[in-house]
Amino acid sequence: MDGWVGRIIRVDLSRGDFAIEDLDPYQAMDYIGARGLGTKILYDEIDPKVDPLSPENKLIFMNGPLTGTGALGGNRLVAVTKSPLTGTVTCPNSGGHLGPELKFAGYDGIIFEGKAPNPVYLWINNDEIEIRPAEHLWGKTTNETEDIIRAEIGDKWQAMDTHIACIGPAGERLVRIGAIMTDRNRALGRGGAGAVMGSKNLKAVVVRGTGAVTVYDGQAFKETTLAVLEKVPPGGGPVAEFGLLAVGEVGAMFGILSTRNFQSNVFEGWGNINMTALKSQFLVRNRGCFACCVPCARVYRVDNVEGFECAGEGAEFETHALLGAACGVDNLPAVLKAGYLCNNLGMDSISMGGTLACAMELYERGYLPEKDVGYKLNFGNAQALVELVEKTGLRQDFGDVLAEGSYRMAEKYGHPEISMSVKKQELPTWHPQAVQGTGLEYATSNRGGDHMKAFVLGEELLSSGGPEIALKTEGKAAMVIPAQHRNAVIDSAGLCTVVLAIAQSWDFESLTSLLEAATGAGYTQESVELAGERIWNVERLFNLAAGITGKDDTLPKRILEEPQLSGAWEGHVNRLGEMLPEFYRLRGWDEEGVPTQEKLQELGLA
Amino acid sequence: MAKIKVDHTKCTGCRSCELICSLHHIENTFNPKRARIKVFIDGEHHYPVIAGPYTDAECTAKNTVVIAGHEYDECELCRASCPVKPVFKEPGEDIPLKCDFCGDPPDPQCIKVCVTEALTLIEDTEDTEDKEDKEDKEDKEDKEDTEG
Repeated sequence: MDGWVGRIIRVDLSRGDFAIEDLDPYQAMDYIGARGLGTKILYDEIDPKVDPLSPENKLIFMNGPLTGTGALGGNRLVAVTKSPLTGTVTCPNSGGHLGPELKFAGYDGIIFEGKAPNPVYLWINNDEIEIRPAEHLWGKTTNETEDIIRAEIGDKWQAMDTHIACIGPAGERLVRIGAIMTDRNRALGRGGAGAVMGSKNLKAVVVRGTGAVTVYDGQAFKETTLAVLEKVPPGGGPVAEFGLLAVGEVGAMFGILSTRNFQSNVFEGWGNINMTALKSQFLVRNRGCFACCVPCARVYRVDNVEGFECAGEGAEFETHALLGAACGVDNLPAVLKAGYLCNNLGMDSISMGGTLACAMELYERGYLPEKDVGYKLNFGNAQALVELVEKTGLRQDFGDVLAEGSYRMAEKYGHPEISMSVKKQELPTWHPQAVQGTGLEYATSNRGGDHMKAFVLGEELLSSGGPEIALKTEGKAAMVIPAQHRNAVIDSAGLCTVVLAIAQSWDFESLTSLLEAATGAGYTQESVELAGERIWNVERLFNLAAGITGKDDTLPKRILEEPQLSGAWEGHVNRLGEMLPEFYRLRGWDEEGVPTQEKLQELGLA
Repeated sequence: MAKIKVDHTKCTGCRSCELICSLHHIENTFNPKRARIKVFIDGEHHYPVIAGPYTDAECTAKNTVVIAGHEYDECELCRASCPVKPVFKEPGEDIPLKCDFCGDPPDPQCIKVCVTEALTLIEDTEDTEDKEDKEDKEDKEDKEDTEG
């Protein structure tokens, strides 16, 4: 089937060998690819009750049919695994160039099973596949790992066309918020996939390919892609100019930037770490991922400013919002350094920021004794922020507690309600107390606290009804559900949600024409929507079997009961209870949030 | 005559140009290694290079060029396909690839997907054209002389 290359590598790390399998085209069509296909394979192949850090868990790298094509944002590789943070299935995805390179090498995905007796990395150079020893890489940061592997390749022309995914010390030490980094600064971030990779003694995946991805109808594909490009604002718009920090200005304007562990919605220091501060002080240049004309990545450099030194790529909005606003830190070099350390040690910067914010509140409320941390941990302590990120990645001292994520830490100190998380995964910055649909989206996300699995925020805040729409609970279930299916399709196709939103091309019609032009599989808008729903439900089935149920579809007590917001949103709380029953009903799930037999039959999952 | 203006400072390293080039020249196919343009990504630098003609000899001198403080290997900046550089050749074969301006009149596809305008099509003045043509011809003759 076009769009796909048709082969998957299955690596048995315990035995140290691998096999090449054919992609099942029917399964690929039913689950679109990447996130959907990876989840289906995981659901079929493991017992959802397994310990996520045991050899019985699997780690699946999967591309979509549009990964490696010239479709706008066609660069996504997804890692599907059972999360050691949430116990749910998780599906972090990464841009950059690795996913496309894997397809050019001739593979749609890789399934890792078991556990290597000693550290190894996987080498893929077209048909040459080797499981190589990685003792010399163990303990190295992600940047060091990249440097060593590239130096070992020797030939500079080959090295420049090689792309690498690796874990840092955090993944090796099974830090529950450990990420897998690709191309140094892109992250398979959320849910602790890095820890799963570490638990398998798998340090890196190195890929080089010279092959092709073919599409079914190149002419239609080109026309669709050029039409999408037409809708991109000139030069890429504000996100090209300022990176995703541009989105932060919207958050600040509407008063929904979570501050000091979600105790406020206004961060007075935002102007010190925002898009203009970065651009005027530390920006080197803008960078885009493979096949994406909106360069949202910021290449930055901090040369010993206030004692901080770092250079890299990132300064992502959520990173600044969580490590900055949520921790009350408005020192830009410190926030950049903390973000840099997350990348270099291999950790999810959202969960890292959320966990530190939680620790700061525990400390300020007197629940976390100073002796446990080693120093004062008030909100706004930039030095502590940077030091504790490093200690978390290395599991040193108090970092060993932080490495468990905010929920387990807060529970240890007797106050789990201080963890701003859903299903034990830290929330992104958008304060969900007033913006009702966003709260519903967080509560029902299949991988815990997350804003990328529906992203109805724009619709809630910017719709024709004005911001008062945000405060309504009516119609929110009907708003969130199709958005969840849409984003499931985008993640599964191998596309980037962000750039499609910028190009206003994330509707089912656009997605269907791209998928059909790429695969020729006979997709219709209806079948694509149904595939999105199927993906959502198979994730739900996995979670239910893993013991994560309807009672976990909730929000932190603070969001539901204690008004935190000022300004236009003052006095409001999230009224999840008004939305959730309707959400279950519209989904064809019972009152406990379990899919009914009729629904499963309709989706071919019975 | 039209020509392509390449502004490295505007390139974001997204390689959309490589992809559309591949699709334009090979039916239904995305393969950056078969494109006649390549974006080099080197630390903080990105620079697209458009494939020029094949030369059958290796350079006798290797150059490093410093531009605005950054060291470039001139091999990377060079547009030629040559015996020692595995760029601008069909993968696995030694058949050279060369930019053909996407036909006559020129209709370079790479320009169309370069939203940041690192690649733009500009009109050259007639004077320059004559001069360049002449220089090209002289260069070629010189080279042939040397090689001969």
